Amino acid sequence: MRHKKIELWLSNGIDGELSERKKKFLESHIRKCSSCRSYAENIQRIHEEAKRLESPEVSPVYWEEFTSRIRKEIYSVKKEKPQGKALLLRWKWAWAGAALSFVIVTGLFLYLTQNKTPQELYVFSFESSLARIYQEIGSDQELEELFNSVISASIGENLEDSGWGERPDFYENLILWEDLTEEEMRFLESEIKKNNKL
Amino acid sequence: MNENMSDFADDHLVKQAKQGDVDAYTELVRRFQEKIYHTILSLTRNKQDANDLAQETFMHAYKFLRNFKQRSTFYTWIYRIAVNLTLNFLKRRKRDEKKQVQLEDYSLDVKSAASTLSPEGYSMKKELSEKLKEAIGSLPLTYRASFVLVVFQGMTHSQAAKVLRCSENTVSWRMHKARRMLQQKLRPYLEGE
Repeated sequence: MRHKKIELWLSNGIDGELSERKKKFLESHIRKCSSCRSYAENIQRIHEEAKRLESPEVSPVYWEEFTSRIRKEIYSVKKEKPQGKALLLRWKWAWAGAALSFVIVTGLFLYLTQNKTPQELYVFSFESSLARIYQEIGSDQELEELFNSVISASIGENLEDSGWGERPDFYENLILWEDLTEEEMRFLESEIKKNNKL
Repeated sequence: MNENMSDFADDHLVKQAKQGDVDAYTELVRRFQEKIYHTILSLTRNKQDANDLAQETFMHAYKFLRNFKQRSTFYTWIYRIAVNLTLNFLKRRKRDEKKQVQLEDYSLDVKSAASTLSPEGYSMKKELSEKLKEAIGSLPLTYRASFVLVVFQGMTHSQAAKVLRCSENTVSWRMHKARRMLQQKLRPYLEGE
């Protein structure tokens, strides 16, 4: 157990991520322990060799061409933009219309069935719902696994229905993951890893 | 093109680019293209893929620039996009068993140190570097990404953690595991000298 921790510290030490106190402890341990000393020498050697691996030289012409290709593509995107914007606006109106219809229908429903409806209406965002679920699950590992498998199954089911045939790529959706907290991101990552069997 | 663009800080260029200044964005591309390309190349080991993914990274970033809230630096953001796109690409390629993608040897060379060795020493060093390339290429993707950012790009654990959207402890753990795996694979070559 102790050696495993030593190995972790040795790795951190190579990256310059170790406190002075731990460094001193490591030095004295390595003097006494031959297996840790040998491991330290090996990973240090690997680190130095890896540092010596050099990427191929790329000519300045390549970079000039690369930059001009990007500029060209940006200008072609810019040309297409007005059309895209109009389309986006139409979509926005469509969403607004749908939301308004939903509010009217819900309002009517609540009005007509007033006696049967709960007194308060709760509106949860995705983040607060997730946080609430986590709170409820607590440290119950079995419940957490069940919850995760239900989510995986649900994603799979929806995908089958939509006929996409491929799992969603959370990573590619910048808008989604830039706004997520680290905890939510870790949760999504673990789900993706499970699905991809990394 | 405006020659003074190179004097501006990244943040200023991002603000200009958000307002539609293509020259400002081009300057950002110039600043980061080599690092991004080489990071992707270290992960994919294929020049064509690295070229395509680097281009995709900058176009992706351009399209989403308005959504970039500058909570992190542009440097972190663009690395994050590059690494995520590359990891997704590699995952897809891994899944696609039918396609036999030939990994070309992108000729990482051993730096000048090798040239001072005897022919025997040189060939052993060459062998170790070849095996090391193979071993790095066989690391699990998340470990490989951490290793590339920390060792090849010289990032701190904290910087790599921001790019990979994980904690510093996770990067530290992945680096340890990566080194352990490399050590196990390369032990015969390390002890042979």
